[in-house]
Amino acid sequence: MKKLFVCLMALTLLFTAAAMAETLKVGMECNYAPFNWTQAEGSEFAVPIAAGGFADGYDVQIALFVAKELGMDLEIVKTEWDGLPMALTSGKVDAIIAGMSPTAQRKLTIDFSDFYYQSDLVIVVNKGSQYENATRLADFEGARISGQLSTFHYSVIDQIPGVIKQTALADFPALIVALSSGRIDGYVSERPGALSAMRSNPNLTFVAFGDGDGFAVTQGDTDIAVGLPKGSPLTAKINTILAKLDENTRSQMMVAAVERQPLSE
Amino acid sequence: MPTSFFGWIQLLLDKYGTLFLQGAGVTMLIAVVGTTVGFLIGLLVAILRTFPLKFTAPVWQQGLMHTLRFLLSAYIEVFRGTPMIVQAMVVYYGALQYLKLDIPALSAAFLVVSVNTGAYMAEIVRGGILSIDKGQKEAAVAIGLTHWQSMTSVILPQAIRSILPAVGNEFVVNIKDSSVLNVISVTEVYFMSRSAAGTYLKYFEVFFITAVIYLILTFTTTRLLRLVEKKLSGSDFYTVYGSQSDHQVQIQYTREGT
Repeated sequence: MKKLFVCLMALTLLFTAAAMAETLKVGMECNYAPFNWTQAEGSEFAVPIAAGGFADGYDVQIALFVAKELGMDLEIVKTEWDGLPMALTSGKVDAIIAGMSPTAQRKLTIDFSDFYYQSDLVIVVNKGSQYENATRLADFEGARISGQLSTFHYSVIDQIPGVIKQTALADFPALIVALSSGRIDGYVSERPGALSAMRSNPNLTFVAFGDGDGFAVTQGDTDIAVGLPKGSPLTAKINTILAKLDENTRSQMMVAAVERQPLSE
Repeated sequence: MPTSFFGWIQLLLDKYGTLFLQGAGVTMLIAVVGTTVGFLIGLLVAILRTFPLKFTAPVWQQGLMHTLRFLLSAYIEVFRGTPMIVQAMVVYYGALQYLKLDIPALSAAFLVVSVNTGAYMAEIVRGGILSIDKGQKEAAVAIGLTHWQSMTSVILPQAIRSILPAVGNEFVVNIKDSSVLNVISVTEVYFMSRSAAGTYLKYFEVFFITAVIYLILTFTTTRLLRLVEKKLSGSDFYTVYGSQSDHQVQIQYTREGT
């Protein structure tokens, strides 16, 4: 039993070494539509995940574009959010394209490319709640607001005067359950995520803010960029590649991803 | 989009059915390999720890024995005392970062679950051995068996019979704890459920399906282990032919209790 195990391990190591030739390994969670999600069937846009299923979404399309421009094959390594920085620093993946923002704390351990998306923060609330027609942050005084764990969405909540900040939750489905059941009055999200949430949960709506009325964020916080190891040679190359995608192309790619997501069927 | 609870369950099974099954397969594979190898590690550790050391043995032998006992105790304490999720991250990421050793996710999963289970199994087996009458070991020594022979032929078979419920427990725990391995990119059924939940943004419906899957897996396992237990117990009735006073007699024994 042990001999078989050792032989199997040796074989898998061999195959891993052989496959590492010209592949760009990109880490993402594949759990956050419309940026990255997992689906069971293939399609012309979806990329197979080694462990089973196919990945698709805005991040996957960006990854495909970058890999094509670099002349490498793309391999998607599906990794849980908290394991992504470790996967990058240890070399399990070459880049993180997972809807991640280049916050100051993250920049201490990893480098980031230029942004490939700029998010627009909104607050998702229940339809018919007292906050539905809010227009400014001050309208949320006294509200119980939450956000996703380990993201800058959670830290901006402090900007709302008089807010009752709730514990951060692990992911968006958890936030939706908390909101629908009435445990919280709202959660911070990016606009595409909020649109997706409304499709499967018609009792939700979101509050968008005009210029100056919304959260004050530094450019770095709302950007979504590619995470790379410190001092990686790929950073400069990827910046050149991303510069080829203008604002129009990026919006079209996002709209297409939102249309393609399973929720839109 | 469906509106009812069961409407959503139908949709999720349609779209993610194959992925859920794949995840369940991976979960069972990790649990089976981890528990089996862990069980063997536990038996080995138990044999080593109960090695009888004569105080007349040479000093180097005594020194070796004490070092071995210390190392095994340390192994048990460390692997029982740290969470499996931490062990998994250290092995999977730490090995590559500090030892330049790339262990594939599934192999790392097997390794971590086996070694972790081995630590628990060592104590379970030790408990089983303690419950065996000292007379068994003395009789084995009296008829000239070595420590290894007496362990494998006399003590352990009896001990295993009595610790099977605890082993079954460990098996069930492994099936459910394999979910923590999602941090090292192992796509078992919990990680798959998070994908389904993250795509459709529905928690209750997805995790209802996951709970049912786990229930089916653990229920089947416990029933199978019950069968193994029954097999090990042997038959309820057995007949002894002949006795010292009367060679022709047949004595029927009925085993009390099961």
